[in-house]
Amino acid sequence: MTQFFAQTAWLIPVYPLIGMVLSILWFPSVTRRTGPRPAGYVNAITTFIAFIHAVAALPAVWQQPPHYEFFSWLQVAGLDLTIPVEISALTVGAMILITGLNFMAQIYAVGYLEMDWGWARFYALLALFEAGMCALALCNSLFFSYVILEILTLATYLLVGFWLNQPLVVTGARDAFLTKRVGDLFLLMGVLAIYPLAGTWDFNELAAWAQTADVNPTVAALVGLALLAGPMGKCAQFPLHLWLDEAMEGPIPSTILRNSVVVAMGSWVLVKMAPVLAISPLVLQATIAVGALTALGGTLIAIAQIDIKRVLSYLVSAYMGLTFIAVGTEQPEAALLIVLTHALAMATLVMSCGSIILNNITQDVTQLGGLWGRRPVTGLAYVAGSLGLIALPPLGGFWSLLKLADGLWETRPVLVGLLLVINALVGFAVTRVFGLLFFNQPKPMAVRSPENLWPITLPMVFGAAFTLHLPLIMQSLSLLPSWAMLNRDVALLLTWSSIFGVSISAIVYIGNFIPKPIALPSKALQNLFAYDFYTPKIYKSSVVGSVDIISRITDWLDRYIVDGLVNLVGLTSILGGELLKYSTSGKTQAYALTIAFGVAIIGILTSWSLIADLSLVIGD
Amino acid sequence: MQLQYFLLIAAALFCIGIYGLVTSRNAIRVLMSIELLLNAVNLNLMAFSNYLDPQSVKGQVFAVFVISIAAAEAAVGLAIVLSIYRNRDTVDMEQFNLLKW
Repeated sequence: MTQFFAQTAWLIPVYPLIGMVLSILWFPSVTRRTGPRPAGYVNAITTFIAFIHAVAALPAVWQQPPHYEFFSWLQVAGLDLTIPVEISALTVGAMILITGLNFMAQIYAVGYLEMDWGWARFYALLALFEAGMCALALCNSLFFSYVILEILTLATYLLVGFWLNQPLVVTGARDAFLTKRVGDLFLLMGVLAIYPLAGTWDFNELAAWAQTADVNPTVAALVGLALLAGPMGKCAQFPLHLWLDEAMEGPIPSTILRNSVVVAMGSWVLVKMAPVLAISPLVLQATIAVGALTALGGTLIAIAQIDIKRVLSYLVSAYMGLTFIAVGTEQPEAALLIVLTHALAMATLVMSCGSIILNNITQDVTQLGGLWGRRPVTGLAYVAGSLGLIALPPLGGFWSLLKLADGLWETRPVLVGLLLVINALVGFAVTRVFGLLFFNQPKPMAVRSPENLWPITLPMVFGAAFTLHLPLIMQSLSLLPSWAMLNRDVALLLTWSSIFGVSISAIVYIGNFIPKPIALPSKALQNLFAYDFYTPKIYKSSVVGSVDIISRITDWLDRYIVDGLVNLVGLTSILGGELLKYSTSGKTQAYALTIAFGVAIIGILTSWSLIADLSLVIGD
Repeated sequence: MQLQYFLLIAAALFCIGIYGLVTSRNAIRVLMSIELLLNAVNLNLMAFSNYLDPQSVKGQVFAVFVISIAAAEAAVGLAIVLSIYRNRDTVDMEQFNLLKW
């Protein structure tokens, strides 16, 4: 029976698609009387079916070699576009994570969007995301991964732009689409450039090709950088990171998904492409550099934010940066492990923060405080998410970061140091928000703050529970290193860095020794982090500015030079007619003169040879 | 006496006629210039007939026809001038520029 489920695992993306199509029935313009709630229920059911299917398929694929299915999509002269589907423990596990988190987010949205009319649109888009992510997990071809990534980019645009009557939502959705689009377009260049080299887009065949590839280093570097740019945009890495910050204008339930899994899909593709990237050492260096810069910058920016959602979004960028480091140092397993532990912990954190935002309206951490006594469940979920995120044994984040640091320990001790710093900064950032939200005196916005109703609290508690149980799950799946293999130095260092960051932050923000709001000695530095290194200004002055100027120039050239030239032809004809009509003078004698001249000229021309002879005769 | 001299005289006469045709302001004088042109043609015809075709003198026959047609043309021309004069009370060619652009 499980074998049957495993063989039909490619059906999993189809369930949410059915839910998406059915949601259309409850658009306010279609169902005018009874409201859109059934759209949410239908989608929760289809997601649950997909989840059950994936869980049922797992035993059959566990510790089995991957099973491949092929669907022919298009065959044209010389190009065979077959969709390869990989059904393995990894892909089924990824789909369990995706559908599980989707189910939680959809239940959460039932509570969160209580006062909203746009359920049909919202759930349809969530279902599209779920289908896209499952399809991306299954798909084993670079080309079709690109196709799905583009569909997800469009879906991001629509989902971020959900409340489209708000101006900041519109600009945020625009930036999210364009920034990810730029990355995707570079990825397309890479995808197209690798086909003549490798002759295939199948990830397995690409990996086999990369083993023995003999490519010009410059070509390999350029293709690798293009392939890197796609995940860079998807994973909100520097310098394509602003969109994730602005995408926080979207509804919280979609943020759960985006922060935990959607953004991680870029890492997924990066992991799959790891063998190809490894051809060029330059590309690996670039991957590490981008990841390290983003991780460090993201954590520093997160510490300086006052908006809860934005704190979390920069932490997402930072953790995706860690997966970049992992891939750059050729440890794809560590990257996948980080994605797994980060997804659960981040989903829990976002759900907990959303739970607070829904009741306290403001997202400004400086306006909140003192919620611990009245919001114990939310607070505990926040704690569970934070501890799952940072490297604190025995929770998930510790094991994934340990795996990464362990791999770096011998070869790149500098990166281990960076990892420790980043881990301490993440600990500082999450504890800062914890202290500001739950301790000290409640501010006016937080004076009356009840715990939420069950559709919000239940998925949050489940998320916290999964985060806490993740080590047990990992142990049963034998993902944890054995005690003998454990690198105790690294484990101790990671633990100490977490404790260091958390306790410093706790002293600063929970203790009452330092007056709030805290000002750094250098106001400029504080603003630099708070305003995200002024990235919008950098965009505006570099890419946006130059494209704007060039398009204005082109518009002017088109309007005045090209159009002008064509119009000049017409204008000249009009002018010619207007001027030459005066040749018709109305005087008969002038006409006679014209005739006489005409005859004379024609006469001279026809008898030219005779006249020439005549002159010769005279000359003689 | 040679043919060329007759032809040159005729050409000179023709040019004088053209000059008169284009420059005269009096409509009658325009008609007179046309007569000059026709006479220049007649002179040509007679000269060619005399020097090149002394046997069958076809040029002289042509000249007779030209003279008679010229008489008829002058009659019609004068009639037109008269009818314009009746309407516009002048024979000044500068006043007859109504049909322009």
